[in-house]
Amino acid sequence: MSLLLDRLFDGVTNGCVYAIMALALVIVFRGSGTINFAQGELALFTTYIAWWLTTLGAPIWLGLIAATVAGLILGAGVERVLIRPVRRRNDLAVLIVCLGLFTALNALAGLIWNSETKTMPSIFPNGLEDYVGIGGARLYFDGLGVWIVVLIVVGLMFLLFNHTRLGLHMRAVANAPESAALSGVRTGRVLMFGWGVSGAIGAVAGVLITPLSPQQLGLQTMFPILIYASAAALFGGLDSPVGAVVGGLVLGVLQQLIMGYVGFVGDSLPQTAALTIIVAVLVLRPNGLFGTRQLERV
Amino acid sequence: MKSLPYVITRGTWAHRVLILSVAALVVLAVLWASGLAQFRVAQLTSVFIYAIAISGLNLATGYTGLLSIGHSAFFGLGAYTTGVLVMKYNWDPLSTVVPAIILCFIVGFLIGLPALRIRGLYLALVTLAVGVAFPELVRRFDDLTGGARGLVIRRRLLNPPPWSGFSAGQRDAWLFWLSAVLLGIVLFGVHNLVRSRAGLAMIATRDNEIAAAASGIRVAVVKTSIFGLSGAVTGLAGCLFAMYLAALSPDGSFTLLKSIEFITGLVIGGAATRTGPVVGAFAVVYIPYFTANLNPSNVSQGQLSGVLFGLALILIIFLMPDGLVGGISRLSGRFVHVRPAAPSNTPTPPPAPAPVPTGAGSRGEPS
Repeated sequence: MSLLLDRLFDGVTNGCVYAIMALALVIVFRGSGTINFAQGELALFTTYIAWWLTTLGAPIWLGLIAATVAGLILGAGVERVLIRPVRRRNDLAVLIVCLGLFTALNALAGLIWNSETKTMPSIFPNGLEDYVGIGGARLYFDGLGVWIVVLIVVGLMFLLFNHTRLGLHMRAVANAPESAALSGVRTGRVLMFGWGVSGAIGAVAGVLITPLSPQQLGLQTMFPILIYASAAALFGGLDSPVGAVVGGLVLGVLQQLIMGYVGFVGDSLPQTAALTIIVAVLVLRPNGLFGTRQLERV
Repeated sequence: MKSLPYVITRGTWAHRVLILSVAALVVLAVLWASGLAQFRVAQLTSVFIYAIAISGLNLATGYTGLLSIGHSAFFGLGAYTTGVLVMKYNWDPLSTVVPAIILCFIVGFLIGLPALRIRGLYLALVTLAVGVAFPELVRRFDDLTGGARGLVIRRRLLNPPPWSGFSAGQRDAWLFWLSAVLLGIVLFGVHNLVRSRAGLAMIATRDNEIAAAASGIRVAVVKTSIFGLSGAVTGLAGCLFAMYLAALSPDGSFTLLKSIEFITGLVIGGAATRTGPVVGAFAVVYIPYFTANLNPSNVSQGQLSGVLFGLALILIIFLMPDGLVGGISRLSGRFVHVRPAAPSNTPTPPPAPAPVPTGAGSRGEPS
């Protein structure tokens, strides 16, 4: 029982990480209709900024704020300078710009801060004794902290989308860009803001995740997370923020449970097994669990 | 002086001379290249192998619109088929190509099945799952594949066969010519395929699936068989890669990053163009090579070249939206314009960036 709880806790913590990154991907997708492959590397870069500030003596929460601001600016800047000129052309062009950015940002982080693995200080107490016992299982404070932050971010996004004018504009641009533009919504600015927000969310995620990640802060930290976040976003439905969160949590828990309880695949094929299940679900629901069906006029 | 562009009608003697001279130039270039230093020859061999792999991807992604980020798995499947058959079952390397192609076709066909319901980026997730699964599967079945330790093919087993006329020491030259000839065959095959009825069906499926189905195209058959074929061609490249590298490991060359490299090459060269994959292969092999050499200090060799590679990608997309082949053919179109003749089926196999209008170069927005 306690083992099951342990695995569930681990799964939920991983799932929260996937969920928050997936949320960032979904926000970009709703506006721009593309998966931002550079999302992970944007987060990596801002995490490096936070780490760099801590080496200068700044407390980690200051690093978190700086990283968030940097993520906002970077995301918005990328949209304005790199994505907007090619967006109208085709999807593949946007994809390649993102891939180019992915390579360049990763290498740039390595160039500035070299490629050695860094130890990132955690914003939550993360000693071996910092846990609460629940039914014999251990829930560590840093894991719990990630849960809480994810809840806060999701709550903020809910408020933003449903209770602010800007959120209304964002939803309008996602649903019908032309009608929105005709009604006076400044589409470009809204898209730029969307990219900025997702950059900021990614930055928060990066600072929270890296102390938990087995690789700590290295150039390879974000790529696997991006892959699972994309899987989670697609599983939930690319245009659904709720789907992103649900998809992330399901993926995280599924991975842990498969790793723990399915003998044949065991610890060697957890990712394959989780992704196979997701593909099977997609065959039944081709637009993800919560995604809207694409209607096309012929 | 005659005003430009100079118009050549397809099927006339002038057009034939143009094609023959381009073909002759290509053959001369390959002959010249085969005499280069050993390092250069090996580098070009890898370009040819990449070009075959990207041609395979082009069939699915470029012409049929099935975005795949799992082609590293086919590449790896081909490579491991060759590796395992040579090392564990004492096959002759060249004869492993046939089972590898068949295997990759079957796997590709099976992966194509979800494509009947799943589209666009969601389909990309299916291929992503395949790409993630492959290295894990290689590690899981380590008694066959050598697992994480890798699989080393003994060099002696990769010597050129006696009938080829190459001596045992000329392994590099043999692989160079083998890759070049196979690339030629693949390009010729792709060229004929996309100009055939089946090719039209592929392009129609890509541009508007519902309209294509309404026009009597069996979309399901097109999608699954093209995915199979695409996998088979990339698998063939994998076989050559196994012979080229002679050492396979799941984390080395068959991860998602390889798929990303293929997509990058495809888009840089020009998706849905016939010579795009070749140009793209040159780009993905040589741009990192040159950017690595630009570096004055050797301290952070890989990093600066990575930054430059990324910037080069973005720059190419900004300057040449249709890829390098699109840009080149637009440029050459100012000087020589090839006009299609009245309905006739002239075979036109230019295996280099020739000034032939590139079929469906532009991908229109479906409305």
